[in-house]
Amino acid sequence: MIAPLLDQILIALGMGILGAVIFAGIGLISGSDETTTLAPLTLLVVLLGVPAAGVLTFFLAGAVAKHMTHAVPTALLGIPGDTMATPLMREANFLRNLGVPHIALRKMISGAVIAALIAVPMAVLFALMLAPFGDMIKHAAPWVFLLAAIAIAWFSKGRLAAVLTLIPFVMVIVGLQSITGQYGVKLSVSYFLGIAIGPLIAALFSMLAPAERATMRREEVRTFSLSPDVKSWGGFFPNPLKVLDSKQSMWTAITAVVSSATFVFSPVAMTVIMGEVVGSRIKHVYHRLTTVITARNGVTESTYLAEALIPLIAFGLPLSPVAAGPAAPLFNAPPRFSVDTATGQVNNLHTLLNTWEFLGYGMLAVVVAILIAYPFTMNYAHRAASYVSRKISHEAVISTFVGLILVIGIWEGGLLGLAVIVTIGLLGGFLSRFLGFNIGVQFMGYYTAVLTVPALVALLHS
Amino acid sequence: MKQELYEVWGDTVDARHLVYAIGIGATVSLGTFFIAQHLLVGWVESAQMARAYAMLVGILGCLAGGAISARLFKPKRHVIEHVADPAWRAKILIELQNEYGPLGRLSDLPPATIAELREMDLYELFADYEKGLAAPDVPAAPGASISAVRSHGSRS
Repeated sequence: MIAPLLDQILIALGMGILGAVIFAGIGLISGSDETTTLAPLTLLVVLLGVPAAGVLTFFLAGAVAKHMTHAVPTALLGIPGDTMATPLMREANFLRNLGVPHIALRKMISGAVIAALIAVPMAVLFALMLAPFGDMIKHAAPWVFLLAAIAIAWFSKGRLAAVLTLIPFVMVIVGLQSITGQYGVKLSVSYFLGIAIGPLIAALFSMLAPAERATMRREEVRTFSLSPDVKSWGGFFPNPLKVLDSKQSMWTAITAVVSSATFVFSPVAMTVIMGEVVGSRIKHVYHRLTTVITARNGVTESTYLAEALIPLIAFGLPLSPVAAGPAAPLFNAPPRFSVDTATGQVNNLHTLLNTWEFLGYGMLAVVVAILIAYPFTMNYAHRAASYVSRKISHEAVISTFVGLILVIGIWEGGLLGLAVIVTIGLLGGFLSRFLGFNIGVQFMGYYTAVLTVPALVALLHS
Repeated sequence: MKQELYEVWGDTVDARHLVYAIGIGATVSLGTFFIAQHLLVGWVESAQMARAYAMLVGILGCLAGGAISARLFKPKRHVIEHVADPAWRAKILIELQNEYGPLGRLSDLPPATIAELREMDLYELFADYEKGLAAPDVPAAPGASISAVRSHGSRS
């Protein structure tokens, strides 16, 4: 009885450490979007047959670690570490220009520690409150997804344009599926990757068009000023509650709780809104800058954790922007995990782990990520930022992602898989750039095509 | 050879280097994937697992391709170790004021934050600013350019 449990815990611990180490490294590279990195690697872990507890800790520890180390390029170089870091740029730049980027960094990651620790129990609590409605929602899943897609589109930058663009976008996916279906090829990862990596594909195509190419031309390299190293704390593992003052800890805790509950909204939007709410309540500008940046980075952790955990625990359906995007392989990774909406049948982490296991392994993942990423960021931030900005060229980053497109596309569906990634990526990339039809909306569009369209067709024929 | 610089996906690249890097990334990643698949299908019982492992090796191939490109092509960034100029700081306050409105008073701050400001040598800056407010006709930092600051803040 005890031995299998111990095995599970050891696997979960090992996978948590692996996830934290890998994503602590990835977080240092600016522009390494969460979806493009977390989704494929989590998928790989799922398909390699790692036990459910290990899959969960890998994903959660990876997300938590990444949202700590992303503070390094954000605070020290003034370039956003990833998508979630963009709402932090304004405060980070002001603090950097005041000559105190190390304060920005310390506050950000200390906020992350507090929020991550709060978010897991909160997410479990909210999931338990929602669980009684789980069966109802599962049976109505196709329509819930349609409503969620429309809501997420409406709250994106594109507003009505994004809502209407859902129609052609869904048509394209349905069309691609029927083409590949004729050759007996069923794809899912290729769509995820195409959507996630769309902006890169769109940029590479733009390079080939003379007019677009001219607008991308630059006369000189960008200058990044790296702030000097100032270590003003003792020891290897500083206490986050001492780095923050009581007001900052309080606001971080409050925003973490609130943003854990609002799991259907875009995490970037929540980060912006929570920051504004906190900022409007603090009078002195320095205190406002440091408190807002603390709370905002806390929210990057709490939204991610809650948006992954609540749908997993309560429904087993990817009903949030994070669950539909970076956390998608936790819900749907054929042949191992699947969601069948026609029958409401779910086979994924939702069925493999119970609520207490989610709580226990969730906390384990968060603690592991904190123990690895927090002291690392506190002590080696400057050296890491210097290394990445001087040694890792953008060409190398693009080269890696192009390799990823090719390997995943060919692996999943041969040349057809590759063609689907490029088609969806190009379309999605341009729709996102010109209409504000962002990646989150595109993921919901994918689910609408896969889940709602068959139900709609069945309804019309009955 | 003169560099042809372009901004792609958020950072600057050289067109020629980008083409080479994509070529290297494609060759190395697909090469390792196909070799791994060829070898593993013979070794591993289930064909599906063999392909999953081949994908893992292929992803390591992607990283190897990236590492080779990183060795061959240097970043197109100019990185300088930068100490914020004290003369700048007064101008930052003006920017802050434009962005957020009144900056607030030091007397509003809890003691911990005051201590933090003193530790960072920022206390005097804000104290001087408040004195400047008391005598409203004296601008905090006359005639200074803020262009250098703006270049960092532009992405926010």
